[in-house]
Amino acid sequence: MKKQLPVWLGFALALVFLPSIFDSVLGISILNQMTIWIIFALSYNMLLGQGGMLSFGHAVYFGLGGFMSVHALNLIADEVLVFSITLIPLVGGAVGLVAAIFIGSFSTRKSGTVFAMISLGIGELIVASSLIFADFFGGEAGVTGDRTYGPPFFGIEFLQDAEVYYLGAFWLFIATLFMYLFTQTPAGRMANAVRDNPERAEFIGYSTRRVRFISFCAAGLFAGIAGGLFAINYEFITEENLNALTSGRVLLMAYIGGLGFFIGPIVGAVILTLMNSLLSNYSEMWMLYLGIMFLLTVIFLPRGFAGFIMMHQIPWQNRRLGTLILPYSVTTVPALVFLAAFVGLVELSHKGDDILPFFGLSLGAESMLSWGILLALAGIGALGVKLSRPRLAAAWAFANTPTADDRGDVR
Amino acid sequence: MSLLTLDSVCKSFGSTRIINDVSLDIEAGEKHAIIGPNGAGKSTLFHLISGRYNVSSGAIGFKGEVIHNLPPYEIARRGLARSFQVTNIFPRMSVFENIRCALLWSEGYRYSFWQLLGRQRKLNEKALDVLEQIGLSDKAQLPSGELAYAQQRALELGIAVASGAELIMLDEPVAGMSNSEAENAVALIRRITEGKTLIMVEHDMNIVFDIADRISVLVYGEIIATDTPQNIRSNARVQEAYLGEVPSDA
Amino acid sequence: MFEVFVFATLNGLVTGLLLFMLASGLTLIFSMMGVLNFAHASFYMLGAYFAYTLSAYLGFWGGLLFAPLIVGCIGAAVERYGLRRVHQSGHVAELVFTFGLAFLIEEAVQFFWGRDTKNYQSPELFDFALFTLFGQEFSAYRGFMIAIACLIFGALYFVLTRSRVGIIIQASISHPQTVANLGHNVPLIFMCVFGVGTALAGVAGVIAGPVLTTFPGMAAVLGSIVFVVVVIGGLGSLPGALIASLLVGLLQSYAIAADVGMPELLHLLGLSFDSSHPLNDLWTLNLPQIAPVLPYLLLVLVLIFKPTGLMGNREQ
Repeated sequence: MKKQLPVWLGFALALVFLPSIFDSVLGISILNQMTIWIIFALSYNMLLGQGGMLSFGHAVYFGLGGFMSVHALNLIADEVLVFSITLIPLVGGAVGLVAAIFIGSFSTRKSGTVFAMISLGIGELIVASSLIFADFFGGEAGVTGDRTYGPPFFGIEFLQDAEVYYLGAFWLFIATLFMYLFTQTPAGRMANAVRDNPERAEFIGYSTRRVRFISFCAAGLFAGIAGGLFAINYEFITEENLNALTSGRVLLMAYIGGLGFFIGPIVGAVILTLMNSLLSNYSEMWMLYLGIMFLLTVIFLPRGFAGFIMMHQIPWQNRRLGTLILPYSVTTVPALVFLAAFVGLVELSHKGDDILPFFGLSLGAESMLSWGILLALAGIGALGVKLSRPRLAAAWAFANTPTADDRGDVR
Repeated sequence: MSLLTLDSVCKSFGSTRIINDVSLDIEAGEKHAIIGPNGAGKSTLFHLISGRYNVSSGAIGFKGEVIHNLPPYEIARRGLARSFQVTNIFPRMSVFENIRCALLWSEGYRYSFWQLLGRQRKLNEKALDVLEQIGLSDKAQLPSGELAYAQQRALELGIAVASGAELIMLDEPVAGMSNSEAENAVALIRRITEGKTLIMVEHDMNIVFDIADRISVLVYGEIIATDTPQNIRSNARVQEAYLGEVPSDA
Repeated sequence: MFEVFVFATLNGLVTGLLLFMLASGLTLIFSMMGVLNFAHASFYMLGAYFAYTLSAYLGFWGGLLFAPLIVGCIGAAVERYGLRRVHQSGHVAELVFTFGLAFLIEEAVQFFWGRDTKNYQSPELFDFALFTLFGQEFSAYRGFMIAIACLIFGALYFVLTRSRVGIIIQASISHPQTVANLGHNVPLIFMCVFGVGTALAGVAGVIAGPVLTTFPGMAAVLGSIVFVVVVIGGLGSLPGALIASLLVGLLQSYAIAADVGMPELLHLLGLSFDSSHPLNDLWTLNLPQIAPVLPYLLLVLVLIFKPTGLMGNREQ
C-alpha cells in the first residue's frame, strides 16, 4: 500500500487542478459528468470485473439512489430535513444499499446467464413500476429539485458548477479509495476467487452465494452514491436513469475501459463521457460512430483500453517500448486517413444540400468528385494499414522478446 | 472413535446406482488409499464425502458429526480439505493469492470487508510458509494459470493443505506427471500430510504401497476389500477384479 | 364477456406466435452456439425494413421471399467476421458484442432509412375479414400470420429431428470437436445456423411490420420480451419457447382485455382507501396497466423457483 501512496496523491492533485486546465463551461460540465460516471462504472465493475457477475440492471441502484436524493433535496429546500447537500450522496448510497440487500437476497442465488436474466427482469420491472407509481417517480416528467436551498457549506451555496465539481471530486476520491480498498479485503479477494472458480471457493470454506451477495450490496451502495451525485448535478431525474439503456451504458464503459483492471472503468467512463459530450456537438451521427467503435473494441481489444495499455508491460520491461513507436506511427497514419474518409462518407450522406468542410476542401453530396475523393482516401488508408501490418507484427514480436541481459531468467 | 465414518452410503443418478452400500471407517492419522478400476466410483465417493453430491441414502460422519448432505463449505470449515483430479485453481489470481485465499477461513477472516490483507502479517507469513513447502516461493507473483502442469498440481495440493485441515483427500494427485515429477510430488505429499489423516485415490500401485497404511478397493461402487497393502496384494477377489479370472495355477 | 375472451385469446395467439417466430431463432442460435443474441430483435427490424423497401418494387410477396434472405446473409456475415472472433474471449464478450450490435443496427437503420415510421402495408390480398364474431372482425392477415408461424414450427421441428442436417446440428451443440473429427465443417454449420436463426427473425419482421408498425424503436419494444420468453421457456428448448411465447402472449392479451384491478380486489376484501393515501398509485392499479410488466414478473418468478425454465435442460 505504501508504494501506491504517490498514485493516490497524484490522483487527488489531478482532481484538484483539472478544472483549472479545463476551465470552460463545457469543460467543467464534462468533468462533473465524469465524476458521476466514474463512480458508477467502478461500482459496476465490482460486479462484473471483480465478481464475474454480469448484470443488465445495475442502473436500478443508481436511479433509485438518484430519485431518493432529489426527494431529499426537496425536503431540505422545504426545511423538513436539515442537513448539508454535501451529504446527499450518502442518502443515495443508503438507498442503493437497501435496494441491493433486498434484490440481492434472491438474485444472487444463481450465477451466470440466470443471474443476468434476473437482473434484466428486475430492471424492467422497476422501470415499469416507476411509470405506475407516479407519486414517487414523477411519471414521465420525472422529479426535479434544487440544490441551492440547503444550508450553506462553509459559505458555499453550490450555485456554480465549479463548486459542484469539487463536491463531486471529493466523493469521487472517497468512493474510488473505498472501492479499491474493498478489493484488498478478504471479501474482495474471495470475490475474485469466486469469479475464477466458484466451485473451488466453496471447498476452501466460503459460500459463493454469500460472497456474491456482499459484492452485490457494495456495488449497489456505490451506484447509489453516483446517483446522489447525479441528483445534485442535474437537479432532475427520470425513469430513463433507471432503465436498461443506462445499465447498458455503464456496461459499455466498464467493458471498453477493461474489466480486468481496477482503473479500466475509469478509463472507459472518461472516454465515453468525452465522446458523448464532444462528438454530439460535431455530428448527428455520433451514436453510429459510438456503436462502431464499441464493436471494434469488443473484437480487437477484448481487454479494453486499459488492457491495451497493460499489454505493453512486457515490452516496457524489456526496454524495447521505443522500438514500437515507428511501426505504430506507420500503421496509425493510414488508419487515421481511413477513419477521416469513413467519417466524411457518413457525414456526406447526411448533408443533403449542405457543404461538408473536409480538411480545407468543400465537399458536396451532389458532386461525384467529392465521393471519389473520399472513397479514394478510404481505399488508400485501408491499403496502408494492410501493408503495414506484417511490419507491426514483427516489431511486436521483437519487443516481446527478452533482451540479452535477462536471458538468464528466461524460463 | 474413527475420524471419518461412512455408513451404508449409496448414491444413484437417476436409476443408475454408482455407489452401493459403502461402509468405511478411517482412523485419525491413517494414510488410506482407495483404488479400483476406472469407473468404479472413486471420484464420486470423494464428491459424496466432501459435499459436492448429496447421498441417496446412508450416512457420513466426521469427528462425530453428521456431514452428509451439507454444502461443501460447511464440510471444509470442519477440517476436511480435498484436491481435484482436474486442476481446480484460481487461474487469474497469483500463486500467492491462491494460497492466501485458502487460508482465509481457517485464520478467522470470514467475510470481512474492513480488514486489509496487506496488513495481516501472520496470514501473509503463513501463506509464504506454505509456498515454501510446496516449492513455489519463486513463482509467488505469477498468475497461477501460467504455471506448468506439475507446478499447478503442486499448487492444487497447497490449496488443499493450507488451511490446516485434519483430513486431506487427494484425488489422483500425480496424474499426468512424469516419473521424476511424481517422485517429487510424493515426497511433498508425505511431508505435508505428516501427522494428518490422508485419503488418496491413486492408480499408481508403487505410490499406493509406498504411502498407504490401509487400502480399500472399490469396484462397481462397492468396496470389495479393506486391508493392509500386503493382504490386499494377495486378496483373490482384488486380483479377480483387476485381472479377470484368477489363473487356477496361481 | 365471452366475445372479449375470444378475441383476447385470438390476439394473444397472434402475439404469442409472433413472439415464437423470434424466440425460435434465438433458441436455435443459443442451442447451437451458446450465444444469447441480444441483437436478435434487430434482425427482426431489418427484416421489416428490407421488406418495406423491397415491397415497393417486388410487392409484398417479393419482400417476404427476399428480405429474410438478405437478413440471413447479414447474420451469417456477422457470425463469420464478428462473433467468431469474439467467441474466444468468452460468453460475456459475446453478449457484450451482440449488445453493441443491437445498438449499431438501430443507429444504422436510422442512418439509412431515417427516423420516421414507415408506411409498410400488408398486402391487399388479406384485406378482408376472415370471420366475424359477435360483431368484431378478425382480419385475414392475422390468420395468415398464424398460418406462417405454425408452418415455421413444423418445418423447424422436422428439420431438426428428422433430417440428417438436423442431427448433425444437434450433435454439434454438445460435441463440436467430435463432429469436426467426423469430417463436418463445424464453423460452416455455426455460420449457417446463425444465418438461419436471423433469417427467421427477419421473416417475423416481414410479417409483423405492417401490424406492429415499422419504426426504429421496433427492436427495442420486442427485444427484451423475446429474451424473457426464451428464458421462461427454458434456454435451448424449442417446445419450451413455444409454450412460453403463447403463455406470455395470452397473459398480456388477457390482462389488457380484463378491465379489473386493485379496486375490485379491495372491494372484495371490504377495504377502501382515500385518494390522498400515499400508496394511492398502488390501490388504483389495474390489470391493463401492469400488462407490460407481467412477462418480467413471470420471468423473475420462474428464475427463482425453476431457474432452468419451464422445459429447460441445459445446465449453465
